[in-house]
Amino acid sequence: MAESSKKRRRTNTDDLPFKNKLKPDSTILQTLKDFSTSSSSSSSSSKTLTLQDLSLPFSCREVSDLSLSSVQSNIESLVLRIAHSILSGNGFAFDVPSRAATNQFYVPELDRIVLKDKSSLRPFANISTVRKSAITARILQLVHQLCIKGIHVTKRDLFYTDVKLFQDQIQSDTVLDDVSCMLGCTRSSLNVVAAEKGVVVGRLIFSDNGDMIDCTKMGMGGKAIPPNIDRVGDMQSDALFILLVEKDAAYMRLAEDRFYNRFPCIIVTAKGQPDVATRLFLKKMKMELNLPVLALVDSDPYGLKILSVYGCGSKNMSYDSANLTTPDIKWLGVRPSDLDKYKIPEQCRLPMTEQDIKTGKDMLEEDFVKKNPGWVEELTLMVKTKQKAEIQALSTFGFQYLSEVYLPLKLQQKDWL
Amino acid sequence: MDSSESPTETKKTKSKTPRKNKETVLKQKSPAEFFAENKNIAGFDNPGKSLYTTVRELVENSLDSAESISELPVVEITIEEIKKSKFNSMIGLIDCERVDAELYDDYETEKAREKRLAKEARAQEIQAKNAALGKKVKETPASKGIRGRGEASFYRVICKDNGKGMPHDDILNMFGRVLSGTKYGLKQTRGKFGLGAKMALIWSKMSTGLPIEISSSMRNQSYMSFCRLDIDIHKNIPHVHVHEKRENKERWRGAEIQVVIEGNWTTYRSKILHYMRQMAVITPYAQFLFKFVSDAPEKNVTIRFSRRTDVMPPVPLETKHHPSSVDLLLIKRLIAETSKQNLLQFLQHEFVNISKSHAERLIGEMGPDFSPKMALKSLTPQQLVRIHQLFRQAKFDDPNGHCLSPAGEYNLRLGIIKELHPDMVATYSGSAQVFEGHPFIVEAGVSIGGKNVKQGLNIFRFANRIPLLFEQGADVVTRTALKRINWSSYKINQLQDKIGIFVSIVSTKIPFKGTGKEYIGDDITEIASAVKYSIKQCCVQLKSKIVKKMQAREQQERKRNLSKYIPDATGAVYNVLKDMAETQLHASKKFRYGDDDGELLRKVYENLITKETLSEKLAKHVEQVDYEMALEYATQSGVSEEPRETIYIKPLETENKIIDLHSPFFVFRMFH
Repeated sequence: MAESSKKRRRTNTDDLPFKNKLKPDSTILQTLKDFSTSSSSSSSSSKTLTLQDLSLPFSCREVSDLSLSSVQSNIESLVLRIAHSILSGNGFAFDVPSRAATNQFYVPELDRIVLKDKSSLRPFANISTVRKSAITARILQLVHQLCIKGIHVTKRDLFYTDVKLFQDQIQSDTVLDDVSCMLGCTRSSLNVVAAEKGVVVGRLIFSDNGDMIDCTKMGMGGKAIPPNIDRVGDMQSDALFILLVEKDAAYMRLAEDRFYNRFPCIIVTAKGQPDVATRLFLKKMKMELNLPVLALVDSDPYGLKILSVYGCGSKNMSYDSANLTTPDIKWLGVRPSDLDKYKIPEQCRLPMTEQDIKTGKDMLEEDFVKKNPGWVEELTLMVKTKQKAEIQALSTFGFQYLSEVYLPLKLQQKDWL
Repeated sequence: MDSSESPTETKKTKSKTPRKNKETVLKQKSPAEFFAENKNIAGFDNPGKSLYTTVRELVENSLDSAESISELPVVEITIEEIKKSKFNSMIGLIDCERVDAELYDDYETEKAREKRLAKEARAQEIQAKNAALGKKVKETPASKGIRGRGEASFYRVICKDNGKGMPHDDILNMFGRVLSGTKYGLKQTRGKFGLGAKMALIWSKMSTGLPIEISSSMRNQSYMSFCRLDIDIHKNIPHVHVHEKRENKERWRGAEIQVVIEGNWTTYRSKILHYMRQMAVITPYAQFLFKFVSDAPEKNVTIRFSRRTDVMPPVPLETKHHPSSVDLLLIKRLIAETSKQNLLQFLQHEFVNISKSHAERLIGEMGPDFSPKMALKSLTPQQLVRIHQLFRQAKFDDPNGHCLSPAGEYNLRLGIIKELHPDMVATYSGSAQVFEGHPFIVEAGVSIGGKNVKQGLNIFRFANRIPLLFEQGADVVTRTALKRINWSSYKINQLQDKIGIFVSIVSTKIPFKGTGKEYIGDDITEIASAVKYSIKQCCVQLKSKIVKKMQAREQQERKRNLSKYIPDATGAVYNVLKDMAETQLHASKKFRYGDDDGELLRKVYENLITKETLSEKLAKHVEQVDYEMALEYATQSGVSEEPRETIYIKPLETENKIIDLHSPFFVFRMFH
């Protein structure tokens, strides 16, 4: 693997704590290579399970990518049914799958959340649902137009087509998810995309709408992750792992220090809660390149929550969890136990608020945490010490401590869960 | 009067360091001196607040006095503005004209004067222009005469009540000696420290130098006491000008107190009026007449808060101490004062919640050198400490709230309705609870709507039935209402609705925070949770009312709300149909659809079915659903819930001959 020939900007960082524990980069690289090959062989040996493989005691609702024409015909038959119903004087109603928390189910075998098949009726002639059913009809019509014309719009565009009816974007966004759930297709099949949010940098080459992109040559900011994944293809990489970063600040540090040249990797961030595009992109990378995924998040309940969204999906989008989740993400840092292990000074740790502690305790009850004993231990420690820390807390030893010492040491020790 | 609490004993000491090498002199300070120097402790921070506090102390004394003899209070309070010249003539000072103008702070230099004149001229010009253009002319800002320092305003505050009055001989000490009072016992009272009226006197002495005048007459007294006195601050004794018995022709009973002080009506006007209004809320059985009199008639204010009920809360009882609330000093004092001889009797009779058998068990627990029959006088200081320790650790029943006198749910509700005229009101009265051995009761009221209520939360706080106006932000009630109540779950909009929150806490000891009696801290969990519970109870009551109201409104507006969305829905459906019809026909008549659907699309294409057709059909459906639901609602809620309208029937003939038949209970009116 190519050792970086670029001169790293190293100042006198030799006095950094734990610096002396670091072995030469070549040793660390060897460890990583072993890990990479072992994880790729293990994951390739076991076939990816699907819902059909399991005989669950209840039926689940899952969506799939549909072609434009089938989305169009789905909408058309739905509209025809409604038109008949109206004309016969019965008003109309939509049968919308429920996306409430009670209708969600975590499947440990798949390691992701799935949606059960409960649904609720959304009649027009009811004061509590009239608004929503009118919005649903309008969204159906707008998506129908997109199908006819074969173009993509953003969620924001969609909202602006009828601001007076939608009132705010949250309402049109929710109904959009309802519609894709109702039609049984992914949201991207509706030709509605979210604005770009995630960025990627590092040892990755892929084609975006036919153009080849080399993510090592994207400058400091990296390449914005394309909002519709069907534009992306031909992924190639010589990386050993994918590094998932919660925060933009930490991402910038790693990108500027060209961390991916020292240890070949792909660095991805969605700047907080991940959007659909980033999750799809990560999934695609994982599937095509077969690389282990390591996550660097804040040491607070929300960091773990973000990790869980990448790992087993959000409740809001659980109908499409098959396409959106990336299994087997390792929690690299910053973990509650690191606070003491790396002697992070008191003034950089923050006391958890009551809300934080409550979230932490609630998460201890969640299945996706429980399945990993290491995570339970870490989270219990967090709730017990009532302390949290952000990735930036590591900057207390110098801005480059993260890329110069912390991450290499973590990798050398294979310190992930 | 409490003799053991002789104020001269509690002298404050303060050492002073003189500038030069003099010996450090140990000085003694009288309580009056101390409070004169630290008058902010008692709420006399500045002239404006002093005026407010004076009014407040006098009103509260009057209420206490009337309630102590179970008389429905009638309180008249008058604030009279006194012009400087009048004030000077009152104290016999001749008005002096300024001779050396430059001596004064508000002296206007030549330059400043030019500037001001130019500015005024400009303002006039603009005004003239506006007037010429027919714009609404703003009121000319009354050119305030520049007020310098020392331009004080003076007020005479007169408070007259129909209370108990004061014994002729006690008047001197009641007003002329700080820290002497009749309210020192362990019971729920408005005042507590024996400071109020005296502080007003100290303030008047500091700011005007004029004495206080007191007239008082008690029941069965043939005379009226009149007293004019001020206070010797250094000695903390009354300095009497006049003290005489006068004729009382009208058999008047009560007290009237007049004091002249420096104040500031302009800035504290609203606070004082708020205070009076809130007082009227919490004491609807009292009648208040508030007057502000000045030379300028447009500034005068007269407000009458009339009585709405004859039901008065019972007089609070004096109670004995609860063992867990006493400290070492208090035990010593109780031993010194008690008439009981031995330990057993002392424990049994001087405290609440200790029965005889309980007392025996306690004595047994104290140790081998204690016995029930041992004389109180023989207790050593160490033994007292042991008793105190045991009181701290042992478990006692909570004191009951019998000694408390809450305003009562009825009075609270009445007060709210009387002063705010809300659309809805709910009240709740909690049971007695305990904080550090002192019982307390929390009562709450929540109102929605009303006049003179602003949007959002309007908080009214009462402690021992006096309104608290200052330091609202830190108060337990404010914090609870803002942070711990989820208003939306009771269908109340915290920002849009006009919400009135009334919380009254009574206790034998209100745990005020800070120096003044301004607010109760948020750190006492017992009180905080009781407040939260009471407010929630009110909200629960309100919720069912609100829901009913919303249902009724929904009922009326349902059809309109449903119909509003018809164009959106049918428009969307029709547009899809139209697109489909067009593509279908362009696609060389290939039938992708079934017979019904094909037929439908054909009709759409031929304009046999239009957007209007769909709208009409949907509207019909909505109408039908609405009718069904209205029927269902009517059967569920009954006819009685129908909004009623008062109907007035006009008599056919304007003149009617009537005969009234009177009986002690009713009047029977017959029309011919």
